[in-house]
Amino acid sequence: MADTDPKSSPTPPAEPKLTKAKEINLPSAVLALESTPDGKTLFAACLDGSVQRVTVETGEALAIGRHDSYASGVALLPGAQQLVSSGYDGVLHWLDLASGKELRSVQAHQFWSWDLAASPDGRWVASVTGQYRAGSYKYDPAPGTEPSVRVYDAVSGALKHSWDFLPPVQAVAFSPDSRRVAAGNLMGEVAVWDLETGRIVSQWKTDDLTSWGIIKSHHFLGGVFALEFSPDGERLYACGMGPMRDPMAGNGVQRWQSFDWKTGKKLDQTHEGESGQGLMEALAFHPDGKHFVMAGRLFQGTWNLALFESASGRNLFSIDAKHRITDARFSADGQRLFLAKARQQELKNGRWNDFGLLEIHTVTGLGA
Amino acid sequence: MTPPQDPHTPIPGMAGATCGQPDHVLHRRKFLTGLGAAGTVSLGSWAGLFSLPAFAQQAKRTAKRCILLWLCGAPSQFETWDPKPGRISAGPFRSIPTKLPGVHFSSLMSRCATIADKLAVVRCMKTDQNEHLQGINLLNRGSAPRPPFVRPVLGSVLAQQLGHLDNPVPNFILLDPCPEGNEFKEFKAGNWAGWLGAQYGPVRVGGDYRIENVQRQADLSAEDHASRNALRRFLTRKYENDRKSAAAASQNAVFERVKGLMSCADLFDLEKLPAKDRERYGPGAFAQHTLQARHLVENGAPFVMVSNGMPWDSHVFHNEIYQMLTPELDNVIFQLITDLEQRGLLDSTLVVAMGEFGRTPWLNQARGRDHYSKAWSLMLAGCGIKRGVVVGGTDAEGAEVDGQAFNEKNLFATIFSALGINPYALYDIGDLPSFRRVEDRAEPIREVLA
Repeated sequence: MADTDPKSSPTPPAEPKLTKAKEINLPSAVLALESTPDGKTLFAACLDGSVQRVTVETGEALAIGRHDSYASGVALLPGAQQLVSSGYDGVLHWLDLASGKELRSVQAHQFWSWDLAASPDGRWVASVTGQYRAGSYKYDPAPGTEPSVRVYDAVSGALKHSWDFLPPVQAVAFSPDSRRVAAGNLMGEVAVWDLETGRIVSQWKTDDLTSWGIIKSHHFLGGVFALEFSPDGERLYACGMGPMRDPMAGNGVQRWQSFDWKTGKKLDQTHEGESGQGLMEALAFHPDGKHFVMAGRLFQGTWNLALFESASGRNLFSIDAKHRITDARFSADGQRLFLAKARQQELKNGRWNDFGLLEIHTVTGLGA
Repeated sequence: MTPPQDPHTPIPGMAGATCGQPDHVLHRRKFLTGLGAAGTVSLGSWAGLFSLPAFAQQAKRTAKRCILLWLCGAPSQFETWDPKPGRISAGPFRSIPTKLPGVHFSSLMSRCATIADKLAVVRCMKTDQNEHLQGINLLNRGSAPRPPFVRPVLGSVLAQQLGHLDNPVPNFILLDPCPEGNEFKEFKAGNWAGWLGAQYGPVRVGGDYRIENVQRQADLSAEDHASRNALRRFLTRKYENDRKSAAAASQNAVFERVKGLMSCADLFDLEKLPAKDRERYGPGAFAQHTLQARHLVENGAPFVMVSNGMPWDSHVFHNEIYQMLTPELDNVIFQLITDLEQRGLLDSTLVVAMGEFGRTPWLNQARGRDHYSKAWSLMLAGCGIKRGVVVGGTDAEGAEVDGQAFNEKNLFATIFSALGINPYALYDIGDLPSFRRVEDRAEPIREVLA
């Protein structure tokens, strides 16, 4: 074997790593997050019903929208000229970001909008809803009283599709080619629809992301909390937490699963020994298309934010980010990760703490 | 207010009697054992009374009863009776006006809002126990524990005071299908009737808990069954009289009890309830058993407790759980109060909806509300209770009681007073220390008493 000169050997690639660079306090917890392509501005949907525009550089926050209950979703349309927000009031608001004026308001649901997504091509906006009502002696869920998945024309606001899917439907995502939309519910059911035909393409159920209460009560709890298609469009990822005997303990295993969305076949999931316990609420793919983060709450273990390699499913890096993470977004250049958080609420001497938080992490060791 | 006179004072308790584990499944043999321990049983029976329809109807109307909707796990006051619109503690649900001017309930209680003029809501409960098992004991027994003496639960006291030992319908019925329930499970495995004795413990029904072996055998005709019974009665009564045997008398009483149970077995069959009623109440176990509770009190049960495990303990997924549970509770209370009123039974039936404490004004990191006993709410309606009353309140965020607070003793004094039972009567329990139904002469919540 030939000797090698250490000075001439190439520098080994840095290990993938996330490092907290900045945090911005908000008065109310954040349920959903969006960023402009340049990563200079964030939009936050907050528990107090406000939609906040936050300048990353200064940390300055300005309320630009309001819902009559929790604000639950924000989606930036291409060109970053318009923002759509959703709330537990069931309303979607279209906001013109230049003028600050509301362009349109649509009562999409009679119940909460649990989640909101915009298609990558900017043509569609989808919102999901549904109330869990007892459907049997054992609290099997009753069929919905309204369509639980609605897709709107993002430009005109016209309703394009309404689909019945067993409520509550908690997560929605568009495919990278904007041709399909997926939704997941509390019972661990996932469905994919074709936007052109309006027909359902596939539907399956995973029992690994929901719980049937044994200890305190008998009903479902948990479910699919986030969905993301892989950037190549081949896989659909879902996250939440594993089954529990007592769902109210919140101690299910931190879990993502990936599926062949054409068949519903499970392809992979968090590996044994690489996760703790706690509800996972956020999934985000890095722009390199090869890595993703999953984040949420830590009940027991060592992390509530982890970076995974999508091909192998390995957990490459993880940290305890201290507070519940509700949403995550990478900047377009892949160098930053934005996190939405909710602190424990505290009331002292009649004053509430700032229980909302945005965090910016720098990303190293991954390609652009 | 002068407390109502108690025709039963002193209380004929079973000195030193303990029941150990309650009968979760009422097998005939266990029931016989329990009644055998009772020693004395009166000869009259509802079955006999009800053979005269007019008299039975009158008896039904004048008898007092109680239904306890036991919301175990501790329901949130914010998502039920004491919403805080516009405040951070409010959560995602709106508040809505009720039939009472200026009074708002959570939007999850929209049906109850329409009958607020028939309800009494106490918004200023403040108790000392912030943990489930202690809280469950406190709000079921009405007083802090004093080991080794075991105070009977509300249901046992009311079974003794309002019931009859020869009532064919059990005097204390627990409708709870959930076999688990963490601390509630532990409570359920404990001694419910305390020093009153096992005969005042609950008969548990619901889900897999059934009253077994109370159906007439299929190959035995009603006529043959009646003939055999007449012969048995003649012979055993003769034996009892000839020997002057207390044991034989007790056995005969027990047989009558089982016969009574056989006669009312249909009351415990959900399938026998009218389909329209079942639909109105909703399909969930709690709703179905509340309808069953109505049916049972209509047919002579003095006390029925309805529960369903411990579902209100929302340390995680608080809003997600309440969006399902609370509308069911709302509809259940609406249907129950409306039914009782339409049947002329509301003035004689006390309905109580409560848990062991309330929940925090703040959310924890797991999107849940934690235990909170400093300021919480409950609801009363019916027998002895004013209609359309909201008592007390809390501060802007619901963190503290604003003004006078009431505790478990005040509540029990209220319940006993409303039912015409002396709250301060001494228990007759032999050589044990002196105990009263409500200690310390705690005042009832006068604002809710009719």
